[in-house]
Amino acid sequence: MASSVVEWKGERDIRLMSGKGCYIDDVELPNMVYCLLLGSTHAHARIKNIDVDKALRVPGVIMILTGKDLVNVMDPLPANADYRSFGWHWRIPKVYPLATDKVRFMGEPVAAVIAEDPYKASDALGLIEVEYEPLPVVIDAVKGMEANSPLLYDEWGDNIQAHVTFNFGDIDATFSEADRIIKVSWRERRVSGFPIEPRGCVAWYDGSTDTLNVWSSTQTPLLAQQFIARALRISINKVRVVAPDVGGAFGNKLNWWKDVIVCAASIITGRPIKWFENRRENFATGPHQRDVIWHGEVAVKDDGRILGVKAKFIVDVGVEGTNRGAGAPSIVPASCSVPNAYKIKALHVDAYAIVTNKSFYCAYRGYGKDKGIKFMERIVDIVGRELNVPPEEVRFRNFIQPNEFPYKQISGYVYDSGDYPHVLKKALEMIDINTWRDKRGLRGRSKYLGIGMAFTVEPGGGAISHSIFNAITLARIKITPDGTVEAYTDQTEIGQGSKVVTAQVVSDILGVKITDVVVHPTSSDITGAGPWSSRGAVYSLSAAAKAAKKLRERVFKAGSKVLNEDIENIEIKDSTVYSTKDPSKRMSMKDLALYIYFFPGPRGLQKELQLEHETLLDVSETWFSPNTAQNPTSTYTTYCSSADIAVVEVDVGTGDVEILRYVHVHDAGKIINREVVEGQIHGGVVQGIGEALSEDLTYDESGRLLAASYMDYVMPTALDAPNIEVGHVETLSPFTELGTKGMGEAPAIGSKVVIINAIEDALSPFNIVITDAPATKEKIWRWVFQSMKGHSR
Amino acid sequence: MKTTGYVNVSLNVNGRSYEVEAEPRTLLIDLLRNTLKIKSVRRGCEEGECGACTVLLNGKPIYSCLTLAVQVDGAEILTVEGLIKDEKMHSLMQAFIENYAVQCGYCTPGMILAAYYLLNTVENPTEEDIRRSVSGNLCRCTGYVNIIKAIKDTVRRKKRENQIKVTKGDAPYKV
Amino acid sequence: MTLPTKFNYYRPKILDEALKLMDDLSIRGKVIAGGTDLIAGVRARKITLPENIIDINHIKQLNFIDDGGDVINIGATTKLSEISSSQIVGRKAPILTETISHMASPQIRNMGTIGGNLCNASPAADTAPPLLVLDAKVEKRSIHGGKVIPISEFFSEPGKTVVGPNELLTKIQIPAQSPSDRWRFVKLGRRKAFTLSIISITMLLKIEDANFKDVKIALGAVAPIPLRITRAEAFLRGKSVSDDIIDEAARIAKEEVKPISDVRASEEYRREMAYVLTKNALINLSKGI
Repeated sequence: MASSVVEWKGERDIRLMSGKGCYIDDVELPNMVYCLLLGSTHAHARIKNIDVDKALRVPGVIMILTGKDLVNVMDPLPANADYRSFGWHWRIPKVYPLATDKVRFMGEPVAAVIAEDPYKASDALGLIEVEYEPLPVVIDAVKGMEANSPLLYDEWGDNIQAHVTFNFGDIDATFSEADRIIKVSWRERRVSGFPIEPRGCVAWYDGSTDTLNVWSSTQTPLLAQQFIARALRISINKVRVVAPDVGGAFGNKLNWWKDVIVCAASIITGRPIKWFENRRENFATGPHQRDVIWHGEVAVKDDGRILGVKAKFIVDVGVEGTNRGAGAPSIVPASCSVPNAYKIKALHVDAYAIVTNKSFYCAYRGYGKDKGIKFMERIVDIVGRELNVPPEEVRFRNFIQPNEFPYKQISGYVYDSGDYPHVLKKALEMIDINTWRDKRGLRGRSKYLGIGMAFTVEPGGGAISHSIFNAITLARIKITPDGTVEAYTDQTEIGQGSKVVTAQVVSDILGVKITDVVVHPTSSDITGAGPWSSRGAVYSLSAAAKAAKKLRERVFKAGSKVLNEDIENIEIKDSTVYSTKDPSKRMSMKDLALYIYFFPGPRGLQKELQLEHETLLDVSETWFSPNTAQNPTSTYTTYCSSADIAVVEVDVGTGDVEILRYVHVHDAGKIINREVVEGQIHGGVVQGIGEALSEDLTYDESGRLLAASYMDYVMPTALDAPNIEVGHVETLSPFTELGTKGMGEAPAIGSKVVIINAIEDALSPFNIVITDAPATKEKIWRWVFQSMKGHSR
Repeated sequence: MKTTGYVNVSLNVNGRSYEVEAEPRTLLIDLLRNTLKIKSVRRGCEEGECGACTVLLNGKPIYSCLTLAVQVDGAEILTVEGLIKDEKMHSLMQAFIENYAVQCGYCTPGMILAAYYLLNTVENPTEEDIRRSVSGNLCRCTGYVNIIKAIKDTVRRKKRENQIKVTKGDAPYKV
Repeated sequence: MTLPTKFNYYRPKILDEALKLMDDLSIRGKVIAGGTDLIAGVRARKITLPENIIDINHIKQLNFIDDGGDVINIGATTKLSEISSSQIVGRKAPILTETISHMASPQIRNMGTIGGNLCNASPAADTAPPLLVLDAKVEKRSIHGGKVIPISEFFSEPGKTVVGPNELLTKIQIPAQSPSDRWRFVKLGRRKAFTLSIISITMLLKIEDANFKDVKIALGAVAPIPLRITRAEAFLRGKSVSDDIIDEAARIAKEEVKPISDVRASEEYRREMAYVLTKNALINLSKGI
């Protein structure tokens, strides 16, 4: 990074490092009180009675709310995605944030205690008595689909929240052309992001202005605003949501159902109320992800060409995937992303979202796109092994070629640009594939070396109709009379570097010093859907660039008039407007702004400038994706690509996996800040490795989450994370203002499947096909053990 | 010495002495954050599994979420706020900035205190020493890559400075 | 969210004061030293706090590492990190140093104590196996007197020891390793750091004239209480160092353990790993690795 950029970012870093940051738990208001939630102790039960008398008598307790109270003051939580009008099988349950008649997952909030301090609230929680009538529990999604399964929502008649069948191309004709048909099964266990800062919010209903002020550790204040307003039956304009510093999100902070409880309580009491969840509550009631099962067939030619894929796809959305979050729609990108980087002719996916007695499903780095990609990358490896074709060859033979872009994929996605062979070749060179190939096989008494690869084409951006995941974006850039350039975007800073990248773009386009640029925290004042689905580099940055370009024109116009110079000779550099013909004609941005805003007297500003309202140095711009506008089925705008290659050593005695080398080459179009991009890659890769080796939200038969904290949900520590070598390729996107592509999710996608592929390669002497992630030590040991005993896998 | 109800807790935090009345059950993290308004100490899990609440107790890193305030009555607590003027801490923070080791920033104070302790106790730490020293601090954003880079960078800088000092004839730095 | 409930806090300054408090029925409550297990237990809702808590962390008589020649004496409230960084322990009982360095995280080791870890008596307690192979002894005291017990008699069942309700564990006496001892410690967890043991092995070995002269093996987290694998040890004593002997000893170890299935691992895996770890350790140590 240039030193000025480092300095710019450094200010924020210092603030956060030295305790001057303001994360949600740092927000303090006068008279503020605290909210703690009581979770159910049953996974599925009717609530017979809730007795809060003893709890109310704890000194310092102000109020206790239950579901019955909320029903009087709010509507059921709005659905975040509704596809009934598409004719899809799509169910939307009636959900309140505090359970009303039934609890449907262990930990589901049944009461909210508001008290003077958390200790008193905790004492009160311990005194609330709830009488439950247990009901049979649905823990297995496949069993939940059976005819005699217990039901979460009686009125549904089954546990299928959504069912959509995708048919692209002629699947029967394609399969009849095949030389062979290979069965592929693949399962990802339940996982989530668990950023180090859990969720929290502070709500203050200010009666004096009739405004509900909300601070929420969220990715998108605008979406929070409309969700809360609709739920609580208030006008949206009476709700204002601000995102403070956010300690990580990864998609896990796109839900506001608990914020609704806190807001309701503040409206009732008139007090500012803080709710900040502890980690156990976050595990039990946070958004969960992955947890999918694929059973499919792939039609191939003996030369390695993949013709088509058929699959049944089941995702376990827990208690529901539409109201608390928006997990059910993920079956769409999951199905449509299967073709990945390849020119396949037909795709058929029968996709199901099944409800079970677990926490709700929403977003985590990949959302749905990752599922199809990982399934395809498993297919590619299995096909290679079956046909005895090296894994990179299968990919080269099926890649969309560099001269075929924009490429209309059979799923309807229009891929903007890419050079997949180049990216993969670069990765193969970086890792020196042949040297490692020579080392494959047994090393020592019980260790086997294996090499895995994976290729990811990640759809980025997002314009998904009938859901909260839509395309609106606004950016506002203005120059203030002290020369500061203020940027307002919807790209909430969640650690992904959105602020510094925005500042760089604005400073480059406008010609101002980056140290003069201020990027404001995001609030619901900006109409924009926020950062998710790698949207920042696509929508938010494009809008900011567009606004900056327009503002630049206005500066030119104003500068030419004020400096009395032809507009063709005007230039801006280092926050100074000057004439290229006569550099002595110059004015700092600050003075120009001062002049435009507060011109000295009615004769001070030229008549033309007075009459030309377009010289106000304050521009708001919106941006829509040309890709999506022209191709409505292309709900994503950019398609970054990446190649992951990993070398592992598997000890078949214990199942231990050592990562010897890890290479990631990515192509996300124009790179604005290399360190920001590499940071995203490092973090995403280690998350994927965690998912591949140890992360698993296991539930027992009674519906109790066993991986209930950071000790039993095993994420990588500094000793577990490998060194990661990164290579860069820049194939610009023709569809964004700057050629940038979203890339934040790809690193977490390829990494999970590359480790699985590498382990499978290491275990090839044992003829094991891995169908289940995570590949924990015990599972690896068991697979080898069973293989050696002659059990079929 | 028996006490019921409220107890007196005396602490020296970041160089200032405090006398606070607290319940015996008050956790150190709550005393530091809620009463003394020291915000770099963060809540990540509140059961000693993530390191975001790390503070230095008599110079050594501990989890403040697992400690009762009364347990450390009479002790010296240091957090990043109290080490801002410390030269080693300054180098460390500079290295974190320059090596892009701060993404969301939430785990960073805990991470930095653990690294600071390493710099104070091990003269030439290997990469494994470095990774081990922060093995009690979870990060979800960075994959630890740039954090390790930043700490290595600081070690290198310290070595260079010591060399310069020594060739200038000054007394060597106390490490 | 569960914060601690209210309690009375006692901080005795000297051992006798602590023992008097523990003898007083109206006060006798839970003892804490580092406190990490206690608070973590409260947060996980595995422990309800009693009315009284006695903090013994400030009793100087309980906090020491003493070089007693061929015995090291360690006070019960000595911090784990003090032990793992102690030069005395490093020289005379390096197997203990190695084991403790892999426990939990640096922050936990700076508060947690050896006595606390032993008295918590988890079947996965990492301090127990090295003390078992070193044939350590522990001293417990009440106001009425003290008693020294071999560590092998210290644990009674998961979570319970022979320390009575009015007693305190006061010190651990550790015979020094002999310089001719080969030793090895391996911990198998779900990740490389900051993890509970799925299984661990601690081994001391004396080889003379290509024979196993003496073997001491303790496997952690594979039995209700920490276990010395005595049948495998007896089998190895006097036998020649060979692949077959090693394999047979590992098989015996596999039969001797009594693991359970829990969220971390299954009984079957633990049992098999008892075989693998024992075999690996014997092979590595007999090759002088």
